[in-house]
Amino acid sequence: MDLIPVITIGVAAVLTALLVIFSKNTVHSALWMVGNCFCIAVLFLLLNSQFIAILQVIVYAGAIMMFILYAIMMLNLRENGEPATKKSLFIFRMALLILFLICLTNLCIGFSPLALKGDMVTQNMDHFGEVNLIANYIFSEGLIPFELISVLLTAAVVGAVYLAKKE
Amino acid sequence: MNDHQSIYLALSVILFVMGAFGVIIRKNAIVVFLCIEIMLGAANLAFVVFSRANQSAEGLFMVMCVMAVAGAEAAIGLAIFVLLYQKTGTINIDKFNLLKW
Amino acid sequence: MFDLVWLIPIFPLTGVLINGIFGRRIENKSKRLVHWIACGAVGLSFLVTLTIFLQLLGLPAEKRLYDFNWFSWISAGTFQASVGYQIDPLSMFMCMFVTGVGFLIHVYSIGYMWHDEGRYYRYFTYLNLFMFSMITLVLADNFLLMFLGWEGVGVCSYLLISYWFSDMANAVAGKKAFITNRVGDFFFAVGMLLLLVNLGSHGTWSLKFSDVFTHISLLSPKLITVICLLFFMGCTAKSAQIPLYIWLPDAMAGPTPVSALIHAATMVTAGVYFVARCNILYTMSPFAMSVVATVGAMTAFLAATIALTQNDIKKVLAYSTVSQLGYMFLGLGVGAFAAGLFHVLTHSFFKALLFMCSGSVIHAMSGEQDMRKMGGLKDKMPVTFYTMLIGALAIVGFPGFSGFFSKDEILWKAFSSPQGSTGLWLAGLMAAAMTSFYMFRLIFMTFFNECRASEHVKQHIHESPKTMTVPLIILAVLSIAGGFIGVPEALMGSNRVEHFLAPVMGMGEGKLLMAADGTKMLHEVSEGAAHHAFSMEYGLMLLTVLIVFCGIFLAYLMYMKKRALPEAIAAKSPFSYRLLLNKWYIDELYEKVVIRPLHGFGMFLWKGIDVVVIDGLVNGTARFFMKCGNTAKFSQTGYVQRYAVSFLVGAVVLAAYYIYVG
Repeated sequence: MDLIPVITIGVAAVLTALLVIFSKNTVHSALWMVGNCFCIAVLFLLLNSQFIAILQVIVYAGAIMMFILYAIMMLNLRENGEPATKKSLFIFRMALLILFLICLTNLCIGFSPLALKGDMVTQNMDHFGEVNLIANYIFSEGLIPFELISVLLTAAVVGAVYLAKKE
Repeated sequence: MNDHQSIYLALSVILFVMGAFGVIIRKNAIVVFLCIEIMLGAANLAFVVFSRANQSAEGLFMVMCVMAVAGAEAAIGLAIFVLLYQKTGTINIDKFNLLKW
Repeated sequence: MFDLVWLIPIFPLTGVLINGIFGRRIENKSKRLVHWIACGAVGLSFLVTLTIFLQLLGLPAEKRLYDFNWFSWISAGTFQASVGYQIDPLSMFMCMFVTGVGFLIHVYSIGYMWHDEGRYYRYFTYLNLFMFSMITLVLADNFLLMFLGWEGVGVCSYLLISYWFSDMANAVAGKKAFITNRVGDFFFAVGMLLLLVNLGSHGTWSLKFSDVFTHISLLSPKLITVICLLFFMGCTAKSAQIPLYIWLPDAMAGPTPVSALIHAATMVTAGVYFVARCNILYTMSPFAMSVVATVGAMTAFLAATIALTQNDIKKVLAYSTVSQLGYMFLGLGVGAFAAGLFHVLTHSFFKALLFMCSGSVIHAMSGEQDMRKMGGLKDKMPVTFYTMLIGALAIVGFPGFSGFFSKDEILWKAFSSPQGSTGLWLAGLMAAAMTSFYMFRLIFMTFFNECRASEHVKQHIHESPKTMTVPLIILAVLSIAGGFIGVPEALMGSNRVEHFLAPVMGMGEGKLLMAADGTKMLHEVSEGAAHHAFSMEYGLMLLTVLIVFCGIFLAYLMYMKKRALPEAIAAKSPFSYRLLLNKWYIDELYEKVVIRPLHGFGMFLWKGIDVVVIDGLVNGTARFFMKCGNTAKFSQTGYVQRYAVSFLVGAVVLAAYYIYVG
């Protein structure tokens, strides 16, 4: 019964991802990417992590995708189909990808969340993903990485400004 | 609940592999970039699943970190693409091999 | 006063530091100040030595040992070496004439080097450094510190021989001296280590003379013989004995005062001093003693034969030095340590005198050293002539002069002592005869007959300045009077030198050292032979004197009366003449037998081993990695997607690892 929305949204996510990859038009790709982001956000909601879902919508669908669209418009790309990858290379890469898929699937099958925490699984389930839990974490154990993130973002801003600056 | 988790994980794996496929097949730099974003989203999904399984906020925090990195990456990466385009008139990544031997 | 012994080496060292560091500035301001500093330093050393010596004389004979431990030098585990000075009759005896003669030669150098174009301060710095090293050598109370001085004098010798280094021949001579000495030093160092290791295994980790000698009976006689021979090998290099004497004649390339100081009076006697210092070791090994004696006698004879035909005035004196050093070792080898050291003393007087006189002559002749171009200098430089005559009479052993007493003592001991033999004595006697011949050949050729120099040189002939002649006169007086401090008993003397040095020779009652295990080790040799029938000693003495007169007369005949005779003889027996003129072809022999093979071996190591094997290995490794790099660089295509693929490969491997292992 819970399964139906999960599968529906999952299929939607996969479809949007496929469209992102195979769209001829870059702008279409970017727009499908927005859709994909929304799908992921819904999945987060289904997983009871509302805060992250909201972040996903604001940061990804809102900020980053706007960035990308803006950049695409600046580039003014013409749509003359790109050259295909060489056949031998393509086959090799596909084989590698399939191998990778098999490996990851193998890992996921072997994974059992119960093995990690045992009985604890049922506890606190209601409060999982609430903002105060994350905030508690950020301002206690995660303080230093959190500050480092701010440094990283500052550096990125400075770098972007430097690159954009005319001589 | 456990069953759901494995579905989420499977979905994450599929999305990740698809992202990887796009990264190594497509030539358009912007699309490659978008594919990377797909991979990041897949990874985020896995993080949340594990975090929930472990009943801890660490995974959620990691997702925030990933988002920050993605933002930084977008800022820098796109700036580079714009510059490259201004200099060479293309963003086909097969045209750039300045890092060659 | 004994505690001030450290002042003796410190004064020359201060001179070295002042002249060595500020010399250029001092010289530019006042050239005089340079030699005032240098001579003053040595003069002060001499005064301190004199006071300590007099104080030592005031003590009873068996108390004349004082060890001044200045500071600890090396401390490694149980091994201790300190910078310490030993005051005993032997070290003071050496120190007295080293500082005394050294001071006179410093003063003489002022006149000799004043007009030299080289750097004045450099010369005096080296000279002072030499004095410091030599004093360290004779005063040291352990083998290691002595070795430091031993090496130090070697370095100074090298520096001073090639003092005029812009001339290639001088540089080569310096190199030859240094390398020859290194050969000896190697053996010396091995001997020292052997001694240390073996004594250490018996619990005595020390190289101090007194420790070594008192515990030496712990070692086996065979081992002692080996150590003695190794040490003697070092001495043959330093004191120019067969087989390593070849450097000394070439060393005459240096300034003449240097030849006088280092290569006649002091440094070359270091070997004699060392053997005398280790007399306890050597008396325990009769074989080593006989080697010392034989080598000494052979050297005395061989060098004298070479000196007969040399035409360079300094070369004659150089070979005569080698010959006289042979006498000293002959004396040591037959157990007459005191006689050998007595000869060291008298030799330092008259040989320094002879060298300085020859320097005076060379100075007057504007640098000419060939005796065939001299002659007739008797009236033009009377002081030099008379002092040189005195020196020549002293060296040939003319009765009443210093050489007579010391040389006669050695010859008598070579004949009479248990270790001596008729053969050794005969070699010494022959050498004495030749000595008288070549010395008077030198005198006659230089000072008599007509002057054969060019007109230009003739005009410049003049008597040397006061700073040169005054030391000559002082040394001339010493060459005469020096002998009287050790007149042997046969001539109504009291043989003071032998009595003064006796406490150092051997161990036991009445000596300075007592063996650790109480065994007595007295010198039977010097005491048993002393009371021999005097009549025989008189007879031999008379024979020696007669033979010396024969030599002088022969020289007179050949170089004054019938001056065609030498050439006639040379023409008659061209082979033996050429043999002597070319120094028995020893240098050529060494060149062929030692240097060439070594050179060839070195070339082989260079071209064969070093260039091909070692360089090949190193370069080959480098080339291999360069090939690898050249091949691997193609993986860096610069295409982003290829890098992404390699990421993926890594991810697959990682995943596989977790599946199958983790």
